[in-house]
Amino acid sequence: MPKIEVIEDTLYQLVGKRFDEEELISILTSAKAELDSRVPEEGLLKIELNDTNRPDLWSATGLARHLRIFLSAKLPTYNFFSTKEESKDWGNRTVEVDTTLKSIRPYITAFAVSGKSIDEPMLKDIIQSQEKLCWNYGRKRKSIAMGIYRSDLITYPVKYFAAEPDKTKFLPLGFEKELTLREILTQHPKGVEFGYIVENFHRFPFLTDAHGGVLSLPPIINSARIGAVQVGDSELFIELTGTDYPSLLHATSIMACDLADSGFTILPVKTIYPYDTPYGREVVTPFYFQDPITLDLGDASKLLGVEITPEEAKKNVTRLGCKASLKDNFITVTPPEYRNDFLHPVDIIEDIMIGRGMETFQPIMPTEFTVGRLTREEEFARKVKEIMIGLGFQEMIYSYLGSRKDFIDSMGIPEDRVIRIENPMTEKYEYVRNSILPNLLCSESVSANAVYPHHIFEIGKIVYPEPAQNYGTDTRNYLGFLSSDRNVGFNEANSLVSAVFFYLSRDYALEETSDPRFIRGRAAEIVYNGKNVGIFGEIHPRVLENWGIQMPCTGCEIDLDKLLEE
Amino acid sequence: MEIDVKSLHPLEVKVLKNTEGELAAEKLVKNLSFNIGQCNQVFSWLSVKNLIKEKKRIKKIQYELTDLGKEYQEKGTPEELIVKTLKEKGSMTIPELSSYLGLENKDVGSAYGRLAKVGILSMGEGKKVFLNTSHGGWPSIVRTLLNRANESGFLEESELSDEQKEVISEISKKRGASASPFRLTEREEVIYEVTPEGRKVKEILKEKGITGEEIGAVTPEILSSGEWKGNAFREYNINIPPSRVLLGRKNPYGEFLEEVKNKLVSLGFEEFDGPLVETEFWNSDALFMPQFHSARDIHDVYHIKKPEYAKQIEQPFLDQVAQTHENGWKTGSRGWRYSFDRQFTRRLILRSQGTVLSAKTLPRAKVPGKYFGIVRCFRYDRVDATHLSDFYQTEGIVLGEEVNLRTLLGLLKMFAEEVAGAQEVMYVPGYFPFTEPSVEVHIKHQELGWFELGGSGIFRPEVTQPLGVEVPVLAWGLGIDRMALMSLGLNDLRELFSYDIESVRLRRRKH
Repeated sequence: MPKIEVIEDTLYQLVGKRFDEEELISILTSAKAELDSRVPEEGLLKIELNDTNRPDLWSATGLARHLRIFLSAKLPTYNFFSTKEESKDWGNRTVEVDTTLKSIRPYITAFAVSGKSIDEPMLKDIIQSQEKLCWNYGRKRKSIAMGIYRSDLITYPVKYFAAEPDKTKFLPLGFEKELTLREILTQHPKGVEFGYIVENFHRFPFLTDAHGGVLSLPPIINSARIGAVQVGDSELFIELTGTDYPSLLHATSIMACDLADSGFTILPVKTIYPYDTPYGREVVTPFYFQDPITLDLGDASKLLGVEITPEEAKKNVTRLGCKASLKDNFITVTPPEYRNDFLHPVDIIEDIMIGRGMETFQPIMPTEFTVGRLTREEEFARKVKEIMIGLGFQEMIYSYLGSRKDFIDSMGIPEDRVIRIENPMTEKYEYVRNSILPNLLCSESVSANAVYPHHIFEIGKIVYPEPAQNYGTDTRNYLGFLSSDRNVGFNEANSLVSAVFFYLSRDYALEETSDPRFIRGRAAEIVYNGKNVGIFGEIHPRVLENWGIQMPCTGCEIDLDKLLEE
Repeated sequence: MEIDVKSLHPLEVKVLKNTEGELAAEKLVKNLSFNIGQCNQVFSWLSVKNLIKEKKRIKKIQYELTDLGKEYQEKGTPEELIVKTLKEKGSMTIPELSSYLGLENKDVGSAYGRLAKVGILSMGEGKKVFLNTSHGGWPSIVRTLLNRANESGFLEESELSDEQKEVISEISKKRGASASPFRLTEREEVIYEVTPEGRKVKEILKEKGITGEEIGAVTPEILSSGEWKGNAFREYNINIPPSRVLLGRKNPYGEFLEEVKNKLVSLGFEEFDGPLVETEFWNSDALFMPQFHSARDIHDVYHIKKPEYAKQIEQPFLDQVAQTHENGWKTGSRGWRYSFDRQFTRRLILRSQGTVLSAKTLPRAKVPGKYFGIVRCFRYDRVDATHLSDFYQTEGIVLGEEVNLRTLLGLLKMFAEEVAGAQEVMYVPGYFPFTEPSVEVHIKHQELGWFELGGSGIFRPEVTQPLGVEVPVLAWGLGIDRMALMSLGLNDLRELFSYDIESVRLRRRKH
């Protein structure tokens, strides 16, 4: 979930109203936003935005727009949007796309702005929007990347083509020498961070103006000349490249509305493709691409539990920025340019709910009768737990993840019996346990100072590979227990196992085992219903040594699911 | 300081009751048949309690009987043997005596010297030794000393006559005493006296009739012999700190989770559970989270290294979910408009949200139906006080014709009151990819103040319809870890899964 920083004064200026903290917290809920913290000395607010389908709220301008409309129920007009039917004047501003990009990074949108000199807070907010849009909404620039340039240095048409990574050179932003596109991937910090998006292509996306002046290597880095925007610039060119056209158009609309709200004039740009796109071969952006959506208000009343009248519904959705028309008991919503989160009519219902206000809905208790119950496994686990407690054992609860050292090396078991995580965050949590014994031994290894004797147990899940299963693995409910003291031994463990089975009313047999975790001849496999259901015995001193334990231990573990099988 | 006479050991009682004047070990040995160890112990106990105090120290000289001394006592000293031999066999030379008695020449020589000095022996013609008189004098004094010492193992110098002192000093050495019958030791003896407090206690003991002879532990022997009849039982001090008992018990966090489960069962919820390893399909696809969603990145979910893929996804759910993603299928949605990846959907991962099990329950759920689970989930997070790589999530669903926003609020209110004991409840719009509308519930907790108890919403039709459910389904999740921490007096989530036996043993619930 994105978190943004906004300058308090800027926000209130844009909204046209100041709030105290309580009012702010309350009004932010209409945007599904929370005040994370404030930095009074810098006049900053940190705000967390919860709705990942509302990237239009991820800037001071966008959030202010929402609050302004929510309070006034007055909709702004943006007259620079082209539609399928009508294109706005693009002047000479065109982008020509080369056919090679079709399989690399096929779409580009652009527009220019003018008429205002950019100041520091505005530049910060634009860069913040750019980052949040490309990172959270554009999947870390994979599906959306944005570049902002000094348009007074650009001669149209802008050329978007795929360049030879080893033969093409330019001076990237923040560097003092020219690098080839491939060198940027290894030498420039942005290249290192985002290079993976293009590195497997033979050619890299590249953007120049008509004279070959370099704009950028999308989606990685701007050039140091045309791509270096500073405070005081007033003529900007903005382009977005990506793989998903609707979300690209959406991000473009958000940027354009933000800049328009900040006082810029938006100048449309036409993009010409040599291949088909969902919106044709020539698209003038910003482009309104959303479809209207219709809701049966009977469904809204049913889902909200109160009668919703058409007029009320229209008023409600207007506060969320939507134009609406009514026919009988149906409402048709035209989403605002900067929103693209209406997938299903239910999405209108939520806007009605927010527009109407949560406080207008009175809670009522569900009355339908249902029978509550625990799972059979949980009921059985509780029975076992009670027996273990009666035997003097302390229940433990452990993490199911651990290191190779703990789960495999120290236990002396083969690695292929333990499920490994492909993308662990650290090697400390790299494997999923296939036994409770390593957790119990880990406890013992850190508890030599605790008064002896130690009697501990856990009932929990373990996982191991099981090729016959659909998931190739099996999750089982296990009981594991461990005793540690000067004089623990096989006989005591044997008595405990016998007590557990006696009170579970289950007969069992023992078989000799050569499991290397235990001392040979002092361990046994437990057989129930003809199946091996567990093991217990004296933990081998080699294993204890691996754990740094200097007190004798006996351990046991039992597959409780197998005891439940008929 | 007031002394509780019940806290006195029987030995202490006996000492206080039965002695007058100065207290010395010797006296206790003699009068109360204590051994030296008991004397030292009782003096130390009584001194700590300030019932007796040191009065003075006396230097004492003792003569301890050595092994040689014991042999002399038993078989006779060389002097005695010489006198006896001469008396029976007549005069002999010193070498003859030595060989007859089996002694060294020099020992016989020095014995002769001592006896000659006191006139018992004299040397005659042919260097023969003659017996002048066989009575009294030096050998008999030695004999007396040996016999007396044999009784107690040592002799006190203070109890010897001057003559005895003179003799014993000749036949004792301080160190290397193996050649002498006595070893001389010097030590200090501490003499105690009863303090005024001690005298008070003595009075109390007298008043209460405590003798130190009362019955202590009740044994089977005492019961079977009936010895207890007519005897008093020693009264114990009930205020002494008890010793520690190690017991079997539940983990308090587990107990907390059990209580929440019990509460949910009592509210009519049926528990669900499932495997830790899941597919992308159930973890996210079935919940209508698009496969390109940022929360589905490799950095948010743990992937299983081997095997990588489930063999299959159950039909018709796979087709229905795939089409819903692509174009909405027949749910009325426009869908996410992308090409659903049917290989990626089989990718095996560690369950990252409890909602997986809500989704998996849908195809088999009863209507009306209420379900819940408190299940382990895994997150790609750096572990710290507020994040764990695996943790419990509390989730559930409610199915039925009467499910709507208002019953959802009612349910959240019920959770707030019944599970969290909240006094005030506030609802705010929320966001979850799989519910619409979505609501968060914030509660005012007696100790924690305002916090977010949980999130909920009505499952999107894109979630329920592909899984064959036509009624509205309410989905909810509760964040109970903060309440758990508070209930356990902790402030670090890692502590809930502590490896430390002692800290788990000592951990208690606050309520």
